[in-house]
Amino acid sequence: MWKMIVRRFLIIIPQMFLLTIIVFGMSYIMPGDALTGLIDPTIRPEEIERLRELMGLNRPFWVRYWDWFTSMLQGDFGNSFHHARPVTHIIGDRLPNTIRLSLVATVFTYMIAVPLGMLAGRFRETIIDKTIIAYTFFAMAMPTIIFALINLFVFGFTLNWFPIVGSVDPRIDPGTAAYWLSRLRHLILPALTGALLSTIFIINVLRSQIIDNENSDFVTTARAKGVPRRVIYNRHIFRNAALPVYAGIGFAIVGLLGGSIFIEQVFGFPGMGQLFVSSITRRDFTVVNALIMFYGTATMVGTMLSDIFITIADPRIRIQ
Amino acid sequence: MSDVLLEVRDLRTSFRIQGEYHAAVDGVSLDVYKNEVFALVGESGCGKSAMALSITKLHNLNYTRMEGSVFFGGKDLLALNENQINKVRGRHIGMIFQDPLSALNPLMRIGAQIEEALFYHTDLDAVGRKARAIELLEGVGMVNPALTYRQLPHQLSGGMRQRAMIAIALSCKPDLVIADEPTTALDVTIQAQILDLLRDLQKETQASVILITHDLGVVAEMADRVAVMYAGQIVELATVDELFKNPQHPYTRSLLASIPNVNEEHNRLHVIQGIVPPLQRMPRTGCRFSHRTPWVPDNIHEEEPIYHEITPGHYVLCTCYKEFTFDGEDAS
Amino acid sequence: METANKSHSPMRILWREICSDKLALFSLFFFITVVTIVFIWAGLLDPRAVLRQDLRNTNIAPNSEFWLGTDHAGRNVFNLLIVGARNSFIIAFTLAIASSLIGITVGLIAGFYAGTVDNIIMRIIDFLTMIPGLMLILTLIVILPDSVFNFGLILTILGWLGMARTIRMITLQQGAMDYVKASKTLGTRNPVIIVREVVPNILSFMVVNLTLAIAGTMGVETGLTFLGFGLPPDMPSLGTLIATAASPLNMQLRPWLWLPAALFVLVMMLCINYVGQALNRAADARRRRV
Repeated sequence: MWKMIVRRFLIIIPQMFLLTIIVFGMSYIMPGDALTGLIDPTIRPEEIERLRELMGLNRPFWVRYWDWFTSMLQGDFGNSFHHARPVTHIIGDRLPNTIRLSLVATVFTYMIAVPLGMLAGRFRETIIDKTIIAYTFFAMAMPTIIFALINLFVFGFTLNWFPIVGSVDPRIDPGTAAYWLSRLRHLILPALTGALLSTIFIINVLRSQIIDNENSDFVTTARAKGVPRRVIYNRHIFRNAALPVYAGIGFAIVGLLGGSIFIEQVFGFPGMGQLFVSSITRRDFTVVNALIMFYGTATMVGTMLSDIFITIADPRIRIQ
Repeated sequence: MSDVLLEVRDLRTSFRIQGEYHAAVDGVSLDVYKNEVFALVGESGCGKSAMALSITKLHNLNYTRMEGSVFFGGKDLLALNENQINKVRGRHIGMIFQDPLSALNPLMRIGAQIEEALFYHTDLDAVGRKARAIELLEGVGMVNPALTYRQLPHQLSGGMRQRAMIAIALSCKPDLVIADEPTTALDVTIQAQILDLLRDLQKETQASVILITHDLGVVAEMADRVAVMYAGQIVELATVDELFKNPQHPYTRSLLASIPNVNEEHNRLHVIQGIVPPLQRMPRTGCRFSHRTPWVPDNIHEEEPIYHEITPGHYVLCTCYKEFTFDGEDAS
Repeated sequence: METANKSHSPMRILWREICSDKLALFSLFFFITVVTIVFIWAGLLDPRAVLRQDLRNTNIAPNSEFWLGTDHAGRNVFNLLIVGARNSFIIAFTLAIASSLIGITVGLIAGFYAGTVDNIIMRIIDFLTMIPGLMLILTLIVILPDSVFNFGLILTILGWLGMARTIRMITLQQGAMDYVKASKTLGTRNPVIIVREVVPNILSFMVVNLTLAIAGTMGVETGLTFLGFGLPPDMPSLGTLIATAASPLNMQLRPWLWLPAALFVLVMMLCINYVGQALNRAADARRRRV
């Protein structure tokens, strides 16, 4: 198993390398450089040239790449033009919000998808199954943005069940129980919106896995032993059917990070997705680059985690 | 060899294929006596595995229909509901399947899979179940039963897995063991070991065994009586000695003829399924093996074949056995 | 003869499958009808008149004159919806076809030649799937000059991955099939085999994926325009109407601005996806039977 994990880990290295090349390459074609914000019409061209030389902007591509790369490894992503603060600080402000949102959404996803997938598989071809399939069809066809808008309109504006913007009520003192309750209330609608749409994969996999496993030989063996049907489902079928679902955990987290651009934007939730949209609108490219690096890395690590999860979950691979 | 243990009467098992039911087991009646090895032999697809699963109603009822009756211990198993039959499954009738790798739950330790049967059918507590499981593993010839107890199926070799499967089947000291092609998925050398083990355990436990196989060699070695199945019907039934010495039905003779030297006719053998056919002692529509022997004239078959008792206990279906010859063979 | 027979039967099977599913047939006809009506109606409207501002009639709620009310510039929302829907359809169709063509070509090449070629292509696709596509699209849209063409180009470049994967998988299976082997033995040149033998046999999958790609592109266009990175303002689309909901005032008090467009997209998405799934089942069943 360790060999497999190490091998999987090694794949990530060339991927990360390519990603850094792409991000750095993009920063090359982006208008402006670190000086753009400082230039004012009174500075003479020679002065600009001197500054450029001083800042190393005239050095060859690979030298600058190496500089950028090593400083990034040390956690230095440069300064934001707009905020005039280190990019890492700006991301640090937003990251907890997004992580909270993703976590709650992932929990919702599994809370909804696992029982539904099991019900659909267990009671296949019945009205229960057909209802669940109809739901997955809607969830698949539904664009995130429209679902988010309709939810906000119905549950936020019209019914007033949930707050319509932000991550916490600013009038409440931080640290109190009411403060955290308010945070939770702000999370529920965006998280539920994301979760309801990202359940499809798990439901489908679980359902088809249960149907496959139902007809498997080991289920016949269990029945031949006189094990009651309910126990066969709980102990034999569900456990085997759940294996591929573990693989989805990594993807689910990444998917929610990526999908959160739309959701954060609609719900005015101050997370990473919203930061990206506002940064790109302001042409704040250092932040944009850092965020692309962040998401790219998150996706790669998430995919790797998924592969590793399934390795650990399956005893056939784990114990050899 | 006189007490009847299992009485199958007019068993018909039909599978739903595209909305219609087609009989895979078609009017089978047979008795299995106490303490005997009863072999059910035939090509793949002749209905013998469907038969095995029918006895304890293991088919998926969503697309399988079972008719007739299976009397066991004074009850008709097919008439029992799920809870009632669960008290028979595993407790009185144990099952061994063809491929032990897929028949064992890949995520459950061997010990737990044996104990599961003990949990439902015995009063043993956890300690007692573990002791019994290890004892069983030892009984089926595991070198290190305590280790195997903790292992997962994929950690065992094919032969070891089948031994574990046998341990599960025998865990509650059943009266009847149904072994469905127990050696087909194994290496030849392992096959002999497993057969030896089965025979020893049968002698030891005095349980009856229904041995389902396509391998006449296995039959000759293991069985007391044999039923030959073709297209869902039993075409010939006799003791093992009688059947090998004096085979009658064209199908039995074809099977036997195909053992030592491969005869071209038998390469063309195919199995006909899905005809809605008659039951024993009921109207029939001809001999089912007839169109695999097109060279014999139609008039030697009975229009509605019935069983003919040639010698006591030796039954043959249809009259065609009297005049059947192999293609090209002289009628004399 | 066998292959000649097969070459047009897949489409017929798809059609039969659609017909057997009443809801899918209805969805298909409904979709076609809506598209036709939108195109004809939009053609009858004067594009400049639709965009002309009328400051006497701003933000009027729906009434008998303005069926869906007017926006902040006094434009008739219903007319905007019709023209916007047409623009969105054109964009969705064009982009879906363009990215599908790339995907089909790459998928065919990877699947047919298999081996090293396939390996390299798949590594590239794997990598492209891993990079944050949406962010890259947004960044490129901002960096490159603002134009409908660039917008389309960017979406196309990153939109072919799924199609390539599917087509590759099916082509790989076809490559192992006897009829392709037979052609190869007869000495037919590979490109000829691909075009004459493989393509007709996987046509049904292409149709299915194209259908789903149209739905996907409509969703992406809506989303990007909502974020403010879509089509230029002088080109109304369903996305521009939906984007008005970004203002809480519009969202709460003037739902006629965005809700009809949102529901329109939703209904269209449901239709296309339903047809696509019905086709998918048919194509899948056929593959299993083969």
